[in-house]
Amino acid sequence: MKYILFIVLATFSVSLAAQQKQFSKDDSGKFIYYQVVDSQAVAKDTLLQRAKTFVNVLYKKTMKQENVSDSSISAKGTMVIDKTILVAGHPSGEVSYQFVCEVRNGKYRFWLTDLQFIPYQRDRYGNFVATTQIGTPLERTPGKLSAGAWKDILNSTYTKVEKFGAEFKKFMATSRVAVPAKKKPETISTKKW
Amino acid sequence: MKKILTAIFAMASASCAMAQETTTSPLEISGSVDTYFKYDFAKKPNNITTSFASDHNSVSLGMIDIALKKKTGKASFVGELSFGPRGQSQSIPDAAAGGSSFHIQNLYVNYDFTDQFSMTAGYMGTFIGYEVISPVGNFNYSTSYLFTNGPFQNAGIKATYKFSDKVSLMAGVFNDWNLYSATRGVSAVGGQLMVAPVEGWTAYLNVLSGAGAGGYGTIEDLTTSYQITEKFKLGLNAANYDIDNDGGGYAGAALYPQYAVADGVTLGLRGEYFKYKNVGAVQGLKYTAVTFTANIKSGGLTFIPEVRLDHSGDKPFFKESGAAAPNAGQFSLAAVYAF
Repeated sequence: MKYILFIVLATFSVSLAAQQKQFSKDDSGKFIYYQVVDSQAVAKDTLLQRAKTFVNVLYKKTMKQENVSDSSISAKGTMVIDKTILVAGHPSGEVSYQFVCEVRNGKYRFWLTDLQFIPYQRDRYGNFVATTQIGTPLERTPGKLSAGAWKDILNSTYTKVEKFGAEFKKFMATSRVAVPAKKKPETISTKKW
Repeated sequence: MKKILTAIFAMASASCAMAQETTTSPLEISGSVDTYFKYDFAKKPNNITTSFASDHNSVSLGMIDIALKKKTGKASFVGELSFGPRGQSQSIPDAAAGGSSFHIQNLYVNYDFTDQFSMTAGYMGTFIGYEVISPVGNFNYSTSYLFTNGPFQNAGIKATYKFSDKVSLMAGVFNDWNLYSATRGVSAVGGQLMVAPVEGWTAYLNVLSGAGAGGYGTIEDLTTSYQITEKFKLGLNAANYDIDNDGGGYAGAALYPQYAVADGVTLGLRGEYFKYKNVGAVQGLKYTAVTFTANIKSGGLTFIPEVRLDHSGDKPFFKESGAAAPNAGQFSLAAVYAF
């Protein structure tokens, strides 16, 4: 009985914690995901090079570099938002964003803003595709009819953005592009044992 | 035809062998359920003879539609089945006949040879026309004459090359329309040019020539939509179908303006002109139809109230007394849930 109570409380706590995740707003009232990261002993140029590689190599299919200076890079990108129940689900839309990273010796900051949602709809071939090219800013106040669905979109977007942020930080902490090494398949001899 | 098919399969096999699998996506499950109430002003079921929603003064079923999709590396499949009147006896073909079975909406495999070039083989929703069988894919719940008389699905093999996000070209060979297996061999060729000249505007120029409804013939079709502002969208479908040897066909056009009046509420109109072509001395019927539709969305659920008024000087409709009439009208309220 104690265990059941514990599981229920733990689940409730996790659920509450999940609900509390939400975007902060910037000076202009737009949602923003903002991080400042200490990266001691890494030079400014190295950090910038890593950020460029992240945008132009690792995320080249979904990000497009816009501006680059000697201490910053900005890009536009999109991420697909999934409606996933355990292992099955389908994409429900995509969120476009503006990405900016600024570097200094030993630290950098990055943020995602201008978040806009474009819903997907199943087409005649059973594929999920964008229904419009015009995105809806995530900051909008939804009407009563779509409040529930909008909350799901916000939660899914926050989870995706958080994952993106974690990947970016992990990449900035290393110095190489993750290229899988080509290993020669191991040969096992059954003649000697 | 045999040589073309052999060449396509040889090319596909060779590229398959060279290709490497990269990523695996989770299994996608999606679908819809729909139900409706319709009231014909002359109290006649099927007074307006376009597809689906044929009952009068009845809360009736549309269909349950279930689609599966999976992508492994560069290969993917889609399998989509529907059950219920809209998805069986009212669709073509009914898998076991007699209205007792199910309908395959899509059943195909696809292989992305490159980011630009892909090939698809199987049974697919047709590339012709604006409207589709699934109520989720249409704004209006009732369907147009152009939809009802055009192909619903095509079995075949097609290749698509994407020149850019703004231009792509598809070409393929197909069975006769709406059949799981060919009755006249792989007897049709088709193509589609997609252009997206400005953001929000997409146009498809389609051609399908070969065996179809009523004999061998050729359809030329333009399907386009333009999201002009965040609130206003305009769609257009125009088509011409000629059956060989003066065997008839049709021509028509439909315009689809839609305006979002509030969050989750969009009003739309469909105005259509449609004419069957003459067959010998037999004059083809002409129709004009206007449909006022609202889409009220809440999450996955969409309510679709609709009023439709059709006119034909040839009097193909019925009055309540059973006499021929030049006009017909109906009201319907549909509920469609997409998941």
